[in-house]
Amino acid sequence: MKYSAVLLGLAAILAIGRCEDEVNEAAHLLVSKQILNRYLVETMDIVVKYTVHNVGNSAALEVEITDNSFHPDNFAHISGELNARIDRVPPGTNVSHTVVVRPRKYGYFNFTAAEVLYRRTEDAPRMQVAVSSEPGEGLVVAFRDYDKKFSSHVIDWAAFAVMTLPSLAIPFALWYSSKSKYEKLSKSTKKH
Amino acid sequence: MSGKSKAFTKEEELLLQDFSRNVSTKSSALFYGNAFIVSAIPIWLFWRIHLIDLYSSLISFVLVTIASTYLVALAYKNTKFVLKHKIAVKREDAVTREMNRKLAEDKKMSKKEKDERILWKKNEVADYEATTFSIFYNNAIFLALVILLSFYILRTFSPAANYTISIGTASGLLALLSTGTPLS
Repeated sequence: MKYSAVLLGLAAILAIGRCEDEVNEAAHLLVSKQILNRYLVETMDIVVKYTVHNVGNSAALEVEITDNSFHPDNFAHISGELNARIDRVPPGTNVSHTVVVRPRKYGYFNFTAAEVLYRRTEDAPRMQVAVSSEPGEGLVVAFRDYDKKFSSHVIDWAAFAVMTLPSLAIPFALWYSSKSKYEKLSKSTKKH
Repeated sequence: MSGKSKAFTKEEELLLQDFSRNVSTKSSALFYGNAFIVSAIPIWLFWRIHLIDLYSSLISFVLVTIASTYLVALAYKNTKFVLKHKIAVKREDAVTREMNRKLAEDKKMSKKEKDERILWKKNEVADYEATTFSIFYNNAIFLALVILLSFYILRTFSPAANYTISIGTASGLLALLSTGTPLS
């Protein structure tokens, strides 16, 4: 749990991309990858948010975010594209993209970076390669443990009530039936 | 006549019981059975909600349940003893009336025998009501004490310590209270 909480602090944005001479004329992307959950739980949704900030002076084109860190053996892909494509990120703006995955197993998992490809200018001859920030290692808690710790135990309390009810209700009912029988009799005695 | 003399013996036994704290084997079994059930039920709460480790606490479960069964049964007995006399006094009129009505048709029965039958019935009714009320009353207090202790007072303790202390205190307190001032 402690380790998963640490993930919250990993929102730091990593500066990616090479500074070249023509930096004033080109797009420059900073990409962060964040895990939005406080607790990572087996078979429960994990929301991963990728945010692309363009801090350059020109629009970034054909931005492609690829995240290969969620292997199908370990994670079920629920929604959002793990291979997302954004046509254009204007200068001074940011674009975010969200993916939902579900861990299949519990234990420690190292959340690594996503890869980003983009074109810095319209006429750039080659794609710029970048990587996002790394959320780092997180602990995926077993669903059973999570449920025990955070559920309201309604069913457990109901079962407890069912178990204790006979030991309270039966003696009370027996006593009460006898009591009311003789009280009735004594009342009718007093009337006469 | 043999039937009557047998009834007298039984009645005498009951009358003797009336003046002692000893209980019959049947009601003793009832008390210990009930005490065992009510002492064992809280294990469920500790297992499911306090997340106590079942295997490592097995010995303490057994020991605490045995001690608690003994103490709760003791509380049943003491409470019953106190209650029985009070109930006998309260029910006197009603039982006499009921028995008179029942025995009215039997003209052969002597006055003395009728009185003895009434006394016997009175003892039986008082015994029954005292037993059932004692079980109900002590069960309710025991469970309330266990919940109060384990979920409020000892909530910060480790589950194993919480279990031993809360069940031990609840049953001990119950036995202690039952020996003290009679119920109002």
